[in-house]
Amino acid sequence: MAAPTQGEDSDDAMDEFMEKFKTQKYKNAFSESNWEEEFEKVPMFMKTAPESIDPEKHPDLACIQSIIHDDDRTPEEKARGLKDEGNDYFKEKKYKKAVVSYTEGLKKNCTDIELNAILYTNRAAAHFHLGNMRSALNDATAAKKLKPDHIKAIIRGAQCSMELHNYPGALQWCDEGLRLLPTEKKLQELRATADKQKREAERDARKAKVKAKKQQNEKETLLAAIKERGIKLLKTEPSQRRGSDSEDDDGDRGASRALADLELDGISSQEATGACVYMDEQGVLHWPVLFLYPEHSQTDFISAFCENSSFMDHLAVMFGEELPPWDSERKYQPQNLQLFFEDPEKGNLYQVDLEKSLLNVLQHQRCSVKAGTPSFIVLVSGSPFSKQFLSGKKVQRLK
Amino acid sequence: MLSDSEAKELLSFLTLETRPDVKGQATEYILGLTGNRDGCRYLRSKPDFLKALVTLTRDPSIAIVKDCYHAVINLSADETLHQPLIKETDLLAILFKNLLDPEYVFADRICTILSNLSRHERTCRDVFHALQEQKIGLDKVVEIFCTEGFNKTASLHYLGPLLSNLTQLPEARHFILDKDRCVIQRLLPYTQYEESTTRRGGVVGTLRNCCFDYAHHEWLLSDAVDILPYLLLPLAGPEELSEEENEGLPVDLQYLPEDKKREDDPDIRKMLLETLMLLTATKVGRQIMNKKNVYPIMREFHKWEKDPHVISTCEKLVQVLIGDEPEAGMENLMEVEIPNDVEEKLKELDAKEQEQMEKDKQECEKKQNESPEALER
Repeated sequence: MAAPTQGEDSDDAMDEFMEKFKTQKYKNAFSESNWEEEFEKVPMFMKTAPESIDPEKHPDLACIQSIIHDDDRTPEEKARGLKDEGNDYFKEKKYKKAVVSYTEGLKKNCTDIELNAILYTNRAAAHFHLGNMRSALNDATAAKKLKPDHIKAIIRGAQCSMELHNYPGALQWCDEGLRLLPTEKKLQELRATADKQKREAERDARKAKVKAKKQQNEKETLLAAIKERGIKLLKTEPSQRRGSDSEDDDGDRGASRALADLELDGISSQEATGACVYMDEQGVLHWPVLFLYPEHSQTDFISAFCENSSFMDHLAVMFGEELPPWDSERKYQPQNLQLFFEDPEKGNLYQVDLEKSLLNVLQHQRCSVKAGTPSFIVLVSGSPFSKQFLSGKKVQRLK
Repeated sequence: MLSDSEAKELLSFLTLETRPDVKGQATEYILGLTGNRDGCRYLRSKPDFLKALVTLTRDPSIAIVKDCYHAVINLSADETLHQPLIKETDLLAILFKNLLDPEYVFADRICTILSNLSRHERTCRDVFHALQEQKIGLDKVVEIFCTEGFNKTASLHYLGPLLSNLTQLPEARHFILDKDRCVIQRLLPYTQYEESTTRRGGVVGTLRNCCFDYAHHEWLLSDAVDILPYLLLPLAGPEELSEEENEGLPVDLQYLPEDKKREDDPDIRKMLLETLMLLTATKVGRQIMNKKNVYPIMREFHKWEKDPHVISTCEKLVQVLIGDEPEAGMENLMEVEIPNDVEEKLKELDAKEQEQMEKDKQECEKKQNESPEALER
């Protein structure tokens, strides 16, 4: 940049100065190649302010900034300056920086109440745009405390409450504001929206309650039906883990826990299908059932075995047309199969009459349902594996 | 009554400066006078007594003030006393000033008096203008009414009937129906206010009066106000509706709990139906009401209602709703709601209604001669 000389008033000095240009190129001129870059560095011609002002790179800018934040000014002036700075950042959508500026302004603790209310309100706005609803609400509240008629703070407070889904709170803010300015359109709109959402939330709560009640009734009916049939449900580990309050076998808590177990275990069943026993419109139960094939370490899962269906009904289909791929010896044919259920208490096995219905079998004295899923062991009659598997076990065969 | 000299003497005792025991006896006597019609009529001709009574409401003794308010309540129950009270005393100014005071223990009595005074159009207009002149305005009254616990010792429920009475004036309705403000919206939740039949009835009366102005119907039924659910909720019951029916209802009427109670008071139920009826006056109104699918509510209500007058109003409403462009939903209602035997009943009821209306008319004339909100001594 051309260094201005302190010219005297005389024409001679001026003439001399002008003469110089004709002969000397002045120092520090912009070069043709990088003049645009240089231009950008001149504070007056800058299009955007740099992110941080390094006194080395931008000495002039640093100088100007220090003038702004000169410590000789009063707290009010400093706070005002910081407010303006915050506002500028806000306009550029640099909300985090705006928050910093406003905070600094508030720290000055100046005595101008209106200014402080504005600082709080503006900071609330910055927080709002950053998504910090709670901070924004706190600031709006603080602003209102300082200046109860500060309508911008009230509008902001209502908006924050809405975002936080506190509709009754939002309504309160709106009503306060409307008391001051009854015809304020924005507040009326906010109020209408808050009211609408509040009522929708109330409806959702009612709906959920109705649904929960319905589910509870269904559960209770199901449990009653199972109990009525004399089918025993086994409590499994999760409820035992619950420790001290697993005392209640009978009574409501037991019932709902048993059902909860049903649900829990239905979901946590090995097949992870979420299948659970259910009752159809005719009041018939359908169970998820597991068939275990210990010989080949395989299982079959039937998601809905009607209690009135017989085992043979299912086996005939499962092993009817095609035998399973793991049946290498092709011996798992329906007429060869033997089914057993295990009494978990004593470890005894009981053979199942395949022509009987599932209900019939489940009602057996020693039969119980574990994890909400009846399971049966499938062996091939007379096979070496079967002999080996059954040896050493107490087996109750069919008569 | 009193002779002129007796009256003069009594009057002299009715001043703030009089000895408390004498003052007390004098006010007691006046209160006794107001307890019957002749006494009231007598006092009508004695504006000085009225003035004195009103002045004594400023008395430091609570017992005296109490008696004065009692007396004014009795007087205000008599229509012929309205103009003298308003014109000869500064009653209205005192009433409004104290109404705004959250600590004033006699605020409920003030509301009763104002409610009485606003019953008939002429004095009602005076009350309304006094509100404006005292720079209070209807919005302050609505604000106080809608602020829970504004006055710790007074419930202010009688502001309900006051508002209802005021809305017989178009200028009052104009204020309540102001689109640029949020006034009527504040009143709506009170159609379900369980704690006070007076408050509830006052609000429903206000809404009904406001619905006489057809021009505002579309706005009232729009989201900006959404008056419909607030009129239907008191008529809706705990009966379980199918999920499909629920989803079609306005949000506030969906999935109502098992303990939902309907409006207890048959007069209020009738007013609600009348208000709904008014809203069907315009085609737009009818269309909106049909779109919002309120049939399940009216259907269940019709099954539940026992009072013949209310049933009749309900059926008239349903008829209007059906009577327009017939649609699938409406035909169902026709079948379910009004089978042949009910048609017969309707004809019977119509005849009975004519009879009843005659009886009602006679009773009404009788009632107007008695004191409405009077506290007998």
